[in-house]
Formats: sequence, structure tokens, C-alpha cells
Amino acid sequence: MSGGGPPRKRNFKIEAFKHRVELDPKYAERTWKVLEHAIHEIYNHNASGLSFEELYRSAYNMVLHKYGEKLYTGLQSTMTWRLKEISKSIEAAQGGLFLEELNAKWMDHNKALQMIRDILMYMDRTYVPTSHKTPVHELGLNLWRDHIIHYDMIHDRLLHTLLDIIHRERMGEVINRGLMRSITKMLMDLGPVVYQDDFEKPFLEVSASFYSGESQEFIECCDCGNYLKKAERRLNEEMERVSHYLDAGSDAKITSVVEKEMIANHMHRLVHMENSGLVNMLVDDKYEDLGRMYTLFRRVPDGLSTIRDMMTSYLRETGKQLVTDPERLKDPVEFVQCLLNEKDKHDKIIHVAFGNDKTFQNALNSSFEFFINLNNRSPEFISLYVDDKLRKGLKGATEEDVEAILDKVMMLFRYLQEKDVFEKYYKQHLAKRLLSSKTVSDDAERSMIVKLKTECGYQFTSKLEGMFTDMKTSQDTMRDFYAKKSEELGDGPTLDVHILTTGSWPTQPSPPCSLPPEILAVCEKFRAYYLGTHNGRRLTWQTNMGTADIKATFGKGQKHELNVSTYQMCILMLFNSADGLTYKDIEQGTEIPAVDLKRCLQSLACVKGKNVLRKEPMSKDISEDDTFYFNDKFTSKLVKVKIGTVVAQKESEPEKQETRQRVEEDRKPQIEAAIVRIMKSRRVLDHNSIVAEVTKQLQARFLPNPVIIKKRIESLIEREFLERDKADRKLYRYLA
Amino acid sequence: MYFLASLLNRIIFSLVILRFLTSDFMMDLGLLPERDADMIMVEGTSQLCNDLLVDPQDVVMLVISWHMKAATMCEFTRQEFFDGLQSIGVDSIEKLREKLPSLRAEIKDDHKFREIYNFAFAWAREKGQKSLALETAIGMWRLLFDGRHWPLIDHWCQFLQVKHNKAISRDTWSQLLEFVKTIDPQLTNYDEEGAWPYLIDEFVEYLTENGCVQRRK
Repeated sequence: MSGGGPPRKRNFKIEAFKHRVELDPKYAERTWKVLEHAIHEIYNHNASGLSFEELYRSAYNMVLHKYGEKLYTGLQSTMTWRLKEISKSIEAAQGGLFLEELNAKWMDHNKALQMIRDILMYMDRTYVPTSHKTPVHELGLNLWRDHIIHYDMIHDRLLHTLLDIIHRERMGEVINRGLMRSITKMLMDLGPVVYQDDFEKPFLEVSASFYSGESQEFIECCDCGNYLKKAERRLNEEMERVSHYLDAGSDAKITSVVEKEMIANHMHRLVHMENSGLVNMLVDDKYEDLGRMYTLFRRVPDGLSTIRDMMTSYLRETGKQLVTDPERLKDPVEFVQCLLNEKDKHDKIIHVAFGNDKTFQNALNSSFEFFINLNNRSPEFISLYVDDKLRKGLKGATEEDVEAILDKVMMLFRYLQEKDVFEKYYKQHLAKRLLSSKTVSDDAERSMIVKLKTECGYQFTSKLEGMFTDMKTSQDTMRDFYAKKSEELGDGPTLDVHILTTGSWPTQPSPPCSLPPEILAVCEKFRAYYLGTHNGRRLTWQTNMGTADIKATFGKGQKHELNVSTYQMCILMLFNSADGLTYKDIEQGTEIPAVDLKRCLQSLACVKGKNVLRKEPMSKDISEDDTFYFNDKFTSKLVKVKIGTVVAQKESEPEKQETRQRVEEDRKPQIEAAIVRIMKSRRVLDHNSIVAEVTKQLQARFLPNPVIIKKRIESLIEREFLERDKADRKLYRYLA
Repeated sequence: MYFLASLLNRIIFSLVILRFLTSDFMMDLGLLPERDADMIMVEGTSQLCNDLLVDPQDVVMLVISWHMKAATMCEFTRQEFFDGLQSIGVDSIEKLREKLPSLRAEIKDDHKFREIYNFAFAWAREKGQKSLALETAIGMWRLLFDGRHWPLIDHWCQFLQVKHNKAISRDTWSQLLEFVKTIDPQLTNYDEEGAWPYLIDEFVEYLTENGCVQRRK
């Protein structure tokens, strides 16, 4: 634009047609009649004779000339009339043809609707939106819904037919799935609400009562495993049914119906079923059944916890019986092997059938922890089991086998609440193994120590390691001793000394007995040699822990080598200077304490095959009036006869009490140390918190009794480590 | 009974070194006027009781000892004796005698009773011991709780003789007072988590087992 000022008006304008095309109302009516006729023809399958273009233009003109409403209402009423006719023909269909007729008519209607919609497309796009009317296609569906589906005569019959077909298929008949598919698709097309209200809801209800009945029937006559198989089959069937001819949205719904009726409602009965329930499956290792139960029960709320709770109570009950059965407890090694077997068995079940489910693993662990600790001899027995394995059980085993077995034992160890009791016994048993050189493999021993150290820390195993060190050092010492002193010793008895550091080894104080002079001589030489190189130490002979190999010649010249304990050696050596000795003579000559003396004499004189001594009278027990004679007539098939062994075995009742007492005594300072540690850092703390903290600190070793903790606190108050707060008597203060 | 018994024991078994305070005052008391004496011991205490016209078992002796901050039963040092008389506010035996009722009444005062009670532990102890011998403790308790009416006193003493048979620690002694003051005789407000000494816990158990109280477990 050049210059300013408003744009200059142009001289020409574009105007609408000046001459109006008025539509004659009669023309409108005529046009409508044509269209109406076309609709009928379409429904009569005579569409081929129609000209699409003409019809389209007619419709277009009507709308253009503001006859849209007439067109629309005409369409409505025509279609309605049509559908009413259709409904009658459907209604008239007999039996099985009903559904087919309905389906066929539906197909027709859809085709017709499409054509009609195409013809009336202009109206659909202009008049319909502006007048807020339902679009043609939708209108067609709605009319179908209202006049066919919701038509009384058809509605119920349709539903019953569908449900009946499904029922027949459930009962094993083969049905026309394609037809079903078509019908359900029809319902979905009419709107999800139609599908749900007119089919799905009743379908679910009927299914629920069907499965309720069937499950009741099954459960009366089937065992648990078979029932679960049937339930699984039904579930799969339903899922398949949905995928074939129901709407996908029904999948979750019907599945949950089956789950509820067949599984959830009968969970407890199934699990508790006699002779075939969960317990039987566990006992008989029925992996497949268990797996099926797991997958099925996982689908329902509380399903898995039902299984888990039952399994837990079963384990606890069986476990409790196992650990309190006196028969089982006679052989500790067998007992522990049983425990290990049970653990293995259930581990496998959880692995194979329960998919390594962690919650089940935890339930297993807590059950084992529960019943293992019911028997307060469990720590001792587990130690005896390890002793047996390390002594002979693992002979010839590969390194892997050894590791596997020890790892399994460690699993049991972890369950123990009183780990300090285990430590005490392990020390005792290890000492016996080391001193009698009865260990199958040094590596295996070391491996066990390492595992204990990993589990419990350095302090737990430091003394045990000390024992190994002592053995090694003793070997070196003996080697040096013989290297330096061999000429001096000449032909005397060969000595093998184990020097034990007090504190590392289990204490068994006992006065030394009277050694035979030959032995005493060489012992003194050793003592002098040792103290010469280790100033300031004190050596005490532990005559109750040693062994001796002695050569004996009997009446007919048979020579045997006897492996005996040191005590027994002292006794036998006395018979070098006398053929017969009374009990009192022996007692005086050896100075062995009475209890041990009786035991030794028992094994020397009263055990068949080992009776190198003869006793008069020939009674079973040793009395102080007995006399003993060298048994000239002794025979044995073996050249080497083992008589005395220092083998680890289950403690007698009084021994057990003693050990238990020592453990309790050991615990007191540990509890006090924990209390002092806690109070030192917290300064002021109330009673319950102290008990909780102490328990937490010590739980790796044992479970402290709150009453004992209270007594220790009072003892510390007495010794002025703590005091009660002046204002609140439940608070304690640390006194620096 | 117990108090007297232990008093007699001391008369029989202890070495009685009679050394007395030298002063006119002491001469008034009629005690032997030996030179360089500075302790009243057993016999002297007995004499004192006579002059005051009180039974040596009388709890007022405890109150007087408390005022004197006496370290040990039946013994008074010169310092303790004079300071005590001063704190009581008297300077003659007659005046002390007159004061006796009011001294006895001090037991009734809650605050003073607590102090006297706690004082009694160390006072009744054997010299050099940390704990209080059971018999002495029982005697003291009977004496102290007689005027305060603790209904469970008999059960307590019986329980100790049957179940405990050992000396009493200081903590137990002082906590018992708390127990008497706060817990009602039917033990309805006894709390197991109440950090009571274990001896008191055992006492409660004993009472429950023997049906002396009904406890809701």
C-alpha cells in the first residue's frame, strides 16, 4: 500500500446466488420417500439396484434445504419399524436356530447400517452435530439394542441360550465357538455396559454357582492332589474360553470367580485333608502336587500364608517330637543326621515346588530355630556330630564333600541360641581329637574353624586356634628334644609330649598319678630340657589325658601291642613285679583317683576281648575287695589291641550339669561387661532398655535371662559401678 | 527380740574397752570417770538407756543415734555424742528424757522417716561389712515398720528366712522402702517391669504362690 488513508473500496463484490433454490415441501417429501424406499431395499438385500450417488445427493439436498430433521426422524422411524419386523423373525426361530438367526440378522443390520451411513454421511457430519443428535451408526446400534436385545421375547432367551451353551461346553460338549464369538462381539459393539449387564454379570453369577457346586462335589470325592488337578484344569479352561469367544475384559473376572469358588473357599479343607493334604504331600515329597498347590494358592488372598502356616506348625510339631524323643536322643550323631536330613528334604521342596520363595525359606528357618533350641543338649550333640565326622566319617571324602557337610552343619549351628555352650563342647571334643591324634584331616579341621570364625568372629575361635598352635609347637619341641638328647635317652621308653597352654585347653585339673620309674625318668629329663629353654614356665603333667603303647607277652608267648590310657599303663606296669594285686594295692601304687581307677580296671578286666587282667571275683562291677591277676590266657585276633581311648562321647547327667553350671558362670562376667559397656556410653538408661540392649549385644552367643541381667545390675550397684537415679528409681546411672 | 539379741551378743562377744568422755557432764551421768576415754560402747549405751528410762530396743534409740550420726549401733564417739545432743537441742539427761516423746514422733514424719530408715542400714551393719546380716535386718524392719503398719511385714520376714537366708544389700534395703510406700498390700499396682530388685520380685512370686494375694497374670 502506498500512501496513507483507508483502503479504497473496490468496485466489485462477490455475492451469493441471487436466485434462491426454494425446495418445494412436496419435493422434500418425495425425496424422503426415495430414501425410505432405499433403506427398505437395503434391508431386503436389494441394494445392488440402487444408485449410491443419487441417494447421497438426495440426502444432501434435504439437509441443505433445512429438512435435516425430517430426514433424521424418518430414518429413526423407518429403522425402528424394520427392526421390529426383524425381532419377530428372530423370535420365531426354533431352538438352536435362534442364535444363528440373531447373528445373521445382526450381520445384515451392520451391513445395512454401513450403507445407510454412507448415504447419509452429509447429514451425519452437519445436521447431527449441530442438533446434538446421535450419529447414524450409533443410532443404528442403539436401536438394535433397544428393539432386539432388550425386547422381552429375545432378551431372556438370548441370555439363557448363551449360558446354556457355555454350561454344555463345561460339561464336555463341543459347541460352535465362532457363533459365540460373534454374539459376544455384538454385545461389546453395542457398548460395554450392554455386554456387562446383559451377559457378563449373569454369566459370572451362574459360573459362581456352577463352580461352587462342582467344587463341593469334587471335594467330597477327591483327594487333595486330584482336586487341585481338576481346579487347575477348570481355570485353564475358563482362560481359554475367554480367549476364544469372550471379551478380554472378562478374563480377570471369571478367573477370580473360579479362584474363589474352587480354591479360596476350600483352602483350609484342602490343606488339612487327611491322608492327602499338605502334610502328606510334604512327607511323601510330592513335588508336582506341592508345586500345583503353590501356583494355585498364590492366586488367592492368604493362600500362600495358609500353606506356610500349616507347614510351619507341622515342622514345629515334628521337630519338637524329634528333639524330645528319648529313643532318638540315644545316639547324638544319628540325631543330628536326622536333623540334617529333614533340612535337606524341606530345602528341596522349597526349591523344586515353591520356587525358592523367600517367605517359605524364612518359615523353615524359624521353625528349625524353634525346635532345635527346645532341647538344651542340641549344642553338645551338634559338636559330637562334627567330632564323629572329623574323626572318621569324612574318611576318603573329597574336599568338596567335606565343605558341603561342614556347611550344612554350620546351618544348624546358626539356629542355636546357646552358641557359647557349643563352644565349650567343641573345645572339649577338639582337645580329645587332637590329643589322641584321631583326626581324619587337618584341612577339614581348619576349614571348620574358619567357618566358625566367619560366623562368630575372632574371639570365638582364638582359643581353638591356640590349641592347633600348641600341637604344632609340641611337635617341633619333641623333634628338637630327641635331636639333642638322643644319646642320653638311649633305650628308654619313647616319649611324645603335647605341651598345652592353660587357658586355651578345656581345664581338667587333676592331681598327677604315680608314674612308673622308667617313665618318670624320661619325663623328668624332658621337663629339665623344656624348662631350660623356656624360663619361668610351669609344667604340670596331665596324666588323665595321655595314652601309652606297651608291648606285652602272654602265657603262650603271644605278643601284643596294647594301646592304653596313661592311667591304665601305670596299672599294668605294676604287674611287672607282681602277678596278683588287690584293688587297694593298685590304688596305693598308682594314686589314681577312685572314680577313674574303677573305670580303668573295668575296661582292663571286664570287657571281652580286652581282658588283659583277670578279676576275682568275676563280677561285673569293680569293688574295693577285688583282686586282679595278669591274664596269661589272654588272646586276641589282633596284634594291636586298643583298650583305653579318650573318645568324645555324650556326657553323663552329672557331667552335663557340671558343664551347664560352668557355662552359666562364664556368662555372668559377659553380661556384666555388656552392661558396663552400654552404661559407659549411655550414662543414664532405664531398666528395660538395658535388658533389651544387653540381649541384643549377646544374642550372637546366647540368650541372656532377664532375671540374671537384673541380678548382675544389682551386683554392679553393690560394687558401685552403677547407681539408681535419685528421682526415678527405674533409671540407672553410670558411676565413673 | 532380734535387736535385744544382737545387743546381748555384743555384750558377750565384744571386747569391752571402757573408755569414757571426761567432763562434768559425763560425771553427772554417773559413768566411770576414766581418763582419756572418748567412746561410749556397749555397756555405756546400756547405762545411757537406763538413765533415760528407755528399753534399749526402743526405736527412739535409733532416732537419737541418727541425730548423732553414729556410725555403728551401740557405739558413740565423743564428737558424735556432743554434736548429736546439740542437734537435738538439749544439754542434760533430764532434758533429753523430756525430749523422748517428740523424738519418737519423728518416726511419723515421712521425710525424717526416710532419712532414719536409710541411715539405719549402715548403722546396723557389722563393721567392715558391705551388707546387712539377715537377722539384724529383720529385727530392724520389724522395729521400723511397727509404727508404720505395713501389713506385709510378717510375710516379708517369713519369706526371707525361708527363701533367702543371705545378707541384705543396700539397694534392696532402700528399694524396700519405696516398695512399702508405693505398692498397695494387694499388689494391684505392682509392675513386673518396674525395675524392682530381684529379691522383691521373688517376694511377689512367693506371695502369689502362697495365695496371699490375687494377682492377675
